[in-house]
Amino acid sequence: MSVHLPAPKEVRDLLAELLGRQVEISFAAPLAPGPESPATFAVYVDDYLRVSALMVLDVPLSAYAGAAIGLVPPNVATNAIRWNVLPPLLEENLREVLNVMVNLFHAGDADHLRLHVVHPAGGAVPQDVLARALTLGQRTDVSVDVAGYGRGTLSVVLVDR
Amino acid sequence: MKILVADDSRVMRQIVIRTLRQAGFAGHDVVEAENGRQAVELVRSEGPDLVLSDWNMPEMSGLDALSVIRASGSRVPFGFVTSEGTEDMRARAAAAGAQFLIAKPFTPEVFAAQLSTVLPPAP
Repeated sequence: MSVHLPAPKEVRDLLAELLGRQVEISFAAPLAPGPESPATFAVYVDDYLRVSALMVLDVPLSAYAGAAIGLVPPNVATNAIRWNVLPPLLEENLREVLNVMVNLFHAGDADHLRLHVVHPAGGAVPQDVLARALTLGQRTDVSVDVAGYGRGTLSVVLVDR
Repeated sequence: MKILVADDSRVMRQIVIRTLRQAGFAGHDVVEAENGRQAVELVRSEGPDLVLSDWNMPEMSGLDALSVIRASGSRVPFGFVTSEGTEDMRARAAAAGAQFLIAKPFTPEVFAAQLSTVLPPAP
C-alpha cells in the first residue's frame, strides 16, 4: 500500500468546496520554514500510527484558510500575518481545515490516514517534524490564492515509513 | 422543527448551520452539542426532529451517541456529517440506525438531497 500524493487540482477542488469560495493554485518553491519564517505543520498518521505525511502552510495561508472557513474578516488574517502568529480563533478553524484535508490522501486504494497533531505557526515545532518537512522527494508545493483573502503557500510532503 | 447539530468544532457547526440555510432549511430551530454525550442529553431534553452529527468527537463519538439514542427507544432521524466517508463507515452508520452520511467538504446541494428525505423545507 502507499500514500497518495495529491495533485494541485485536487488541492484546489477540496479547498474551494471547503472554504466556499474560489481558489486558484499555481506551482511554488518548496517551503523552507525556520525561525524567521514560521509555518503550521499538520502531521498525518496511518492506521499503524506511523507518520505518513505532512502538510505545511506558511503564516499567510494558515491565516487566510483559518479566516475564510469561518467567514472571519480578512483584516484578522492580515494582523496575524503581521505578527507571524495565529490567534486562537484562526488556529481552531485551521485545525478543522487540516482535518478535512486528510481526504486529499484518500484516493483509490491508497492508505487510510488521519490527522494526528497540528503544530500551529508561531509555536514550537519538534525537530523531527521540521526535518521531515524539509525533505525533497515526494511532495507537492503550491501557491494558493483564496478569493477575498489572499495568497499563501502549501507543501504536502509524503514521509518514508 | 428542531435540528440538533453535534460537532466538537465550532466553525464546523457554523458551516453546517449555514449550509442548512443555503439548502433551503432556514427557519428551523437549531440546538448545538460539542460532543456525543451532550447530543444524547439534548435528544432527551430537546426532542429534535433531526440530528446531524460528526463522527469523531471527545467524550463520546457520534456512533456511540447514536447507539445510546437508539437504545433509549428514540427513532429521531440521524445523519452523520463527517470528514471521512469510507464504505466501512457508511455500513457501520447504517447498521447503527443512521439515515445517511455526508462527507466533508459538502455542498448545499448534497444537504438538500439528503435532508429532503427526512425533513420538510422551511415554509
